[in-house]
Amino acid sequence: MKGNWMKKQQLLGYVFIAPNMIGVLLFFIIPAMFSFVLMFTDYRFMNPNVSFVGLDNFTRLFKDEVFYVSLGNTLIFLLSVPISILLAFVVAVALNKSVYMKKMLRALYFMPYITSGVAIAFVWMLLFQPKMGPINGFLRAIGIDNPPGWLSTMETSMIAIDIIWIWFMLGYNMIIYLAALQEISSELLEASKIDGAKWWQTIRSIIWPLVSPTTFLLLITGLIMTIKTFGIIQAITQGGPGNSTTILSLFVYKNAFRYYEMGYASAISWVLFFIILVITMIQWAGQKRWVHY
Amino acid sequence: MNNKKWIPTLLAGVMTLGLLSGCAGGGNTSSGGNGASTLDNSGAATNTPSASEPIKLTMWGGVPPESGPQAVVDVWNAENPDIQVEYVRFVNDDDGNLKLDTAMLTDQGVDIYVNYTLSQTEKRVEAGVALDLSEFGDYDIDDKMGPDAALWKIDDKYYGVPTKKNAFFVALNKDMLDEAGLEVPKSWTWDEARDYAKQLTADGRYGLIQHLEPFYDPMDSVLEKDGYAKADGSSNLDHPLIQKWLETLNAMMTEDASTPPLGEQMSTQLPVDTSFLGGQAAMLNIGEWLIRSSNNLTDFPRDFKIAFAPVPRLADAEADFITRGGLGDLVSINAKSPHKDAAWAFVKWYADGGMAPMAAGGRLPASKDVDKQVALDSLLGDQADTYDLESLEYVLYEDTTPTYVRSASQQVIDLRTQEYEKYFLGGQTIEKTIENMVARHNELLK
Repeated sequence: MKGNWMKKQQLLGYVFIAPNMIGVLLFFIIPAMFSFVLMFTDYRFMNPNVSFVGLDNFTRLFKDEVFYVSLGNTLIFLLSVPISILLAFVVAVALNKSVYMKKMLRALYFMPYITSGVAIAFVWMLLFQPKMGPINGFLRAIGIDNPPGWLSTMETSMIAIDIIWIWFMLGYNMIIYLAALQEISSELLEASKIDGAKWWQTIRSIIWPLVSPTTFLLLITGLIMTIKTFGIIQAITQGGPGNSTTILSLFVYKNAFRYYEMGYASAISWVLFFIILVITMIQWAGQKRWVHY
Repeated sequence: MNNKKWIPTLLAGVMTLGLLSGCAGGGNTSSGGNGASTLDNSGAATNTPSASEPIKLTMWGGVPPESGPQAVVDVWNAENPDIQVEYVRFVNDDDGNLKLDTAMLTDQGVDIYVNYTLSQTEKRVEAGVALDLSEFGDYDIDDKMGPDAALWKIDDKYYGVPTKKNAFFVALNKDMLDEAGLEVPKSWTWDEARDYAKQLTADGRYGLIQHLEPFYDPMDSVLEKDGYAKADGSSNLDHPLIQKWLETLNAMMTEDASTPPLGEQMSTQLPVDTSFLGGQAAMLNIGEWLIRSSNNLTDFPRDFKIAFAPVPRLADAEADFITRGGLGDLVSINAKSPHKDAAWAFVKWYADGGMAPMAAGGRLPASKDVDKQVALDSLLGDQADTYDLESLEYVLYEDTTPTYVRSASQQVIDLRTQEYEKYFLGGQTIEKTIENMVARHNELLK
């Protein structure tokens, strides 16, 4: 009798998750499995002749100079995640206290996150314009004679992209931190005050450890999201100048949808997957040292 | 008695109404559902046995509908009630072409489509979605479009009709040239062009600016002639003229400051036609699409005449030079389309002058059936007197330099672009640039 009821309950559970599961299966799991097969082929979109080539795609990849360049660029791009998280923490702590126009500032910081990528790209290109752009105008005004060329030089273009990405993620990270700050019981803060802790001691020894699960969450999701992004770079630089802003995900996109090299692109995307996996696993292993639940 | 008299009158009235609605149905694009539409058949259609429903064709093209295509299909639809064509625009970039390719592979009802590059056409032929037009015997593409059409042949067959006359040229600010006492060149080298640019450079004004689409054509001019690969199968990107192009342009960007540095141009996406028409540059390396902006004196006011020069060459001898040109806009029929005959009827009509409304957007019909003067008139509209017509006609029709159509694959184009960007931005030396280009090209040639 009871077992029957349990079975019914279980069945009902499956029925409820079915719509989502079917979606994930159709649009994620099956294509992912398919790409796993494709990476051993020379499949080109539009070309009906497909043959298995074993590990050829990987030997080609490890000889491809652009792969190493984009790997390096990806690492520089990933640096934006911890920086953005730190900045978001600072902003959230400041906005959590009594600040004038708190609500408006919160909304302002969140704006980038809900703005269309193309608009962001266009505005930042204007801001970064080397000769007439306001950023370099400001730098010249404060006495820097040779401000950087930002998106127009090989050396600074990835840094410029990082700045845009930090700014973009700041709002989201800040909102999550604000929620976490609300959770901290005021007794702890008052106790630290009574014990004579300075404001920065409170932040370092009470607030920061207490929001560490949030930091961990933001770090993991931020890194995964960042490593997968390419739309914003495609809109701003298309990976140039040269290939100074080509990151791995953009490299995959170009091979698949510009050159139609689906087999090769599948191989690169699985390499990308393993990179994300390794980074995430390292973080899981490392969390015991600094995350306090 | 009265009743009986009424009956014929009533019948006549009903019949008149029927006829009227029949005509209306023919004139409109929709609701031709009463059989009367066959009366309007102007002979273009060949396979409409049961014409109760008009054949619906879908044409995919990269030009925004308002720049001509909508006017083209409107004219056709009015004349051919039994074949109704709908125009769908795809943006002619990676995503747009991918959308078109996917739509064709999955049978989403694409009947006619326009190819803009040879390498895309080759992919579509491979995939079996481009109809081999030799199955129709009633239209001689070589005869109609001239010898340049053959550049679009794949395995010696036509998989589409090239419809547009390509024109690449250097547009010149005639007033500035006169001021500096310079002639409008009819044939010139890059050294001469550099010299012109130097003389024409002034404060706040570049001597030469270039649209990024034809920017690297000088390389292809060399390689289309002498081969992308050498006889032994290795890359020909170390051709001495390629180095010459790189060094000439680099000197113009840095030493002469007569052309904008590439990094600056890319990061600002400098609208070159705006600069040229606004008098901030004396010469502009571009193609026929300039006419779209230069005819528009409201948004781009100017008081100077535009003259035209052929694209400069790298080779010393004129005989060693081929220039980009030929024909463009290859209109193909989807091999999976159920209405091939109807589509073919439309394509023939389009190529033989049906495309005329596109000329206002810079697209000159290539067919010999279209009168040169009529084409020029629709190209220039009311603004003909703001151009130096003699040099325009020379560039469009009289220049006899042999031409090529860009055939390099996207990968080769991209790797070259990445390497020369590094060079022009000061990121690597000329030797390293050529070495990298050759190495990466060889990797692809394997």
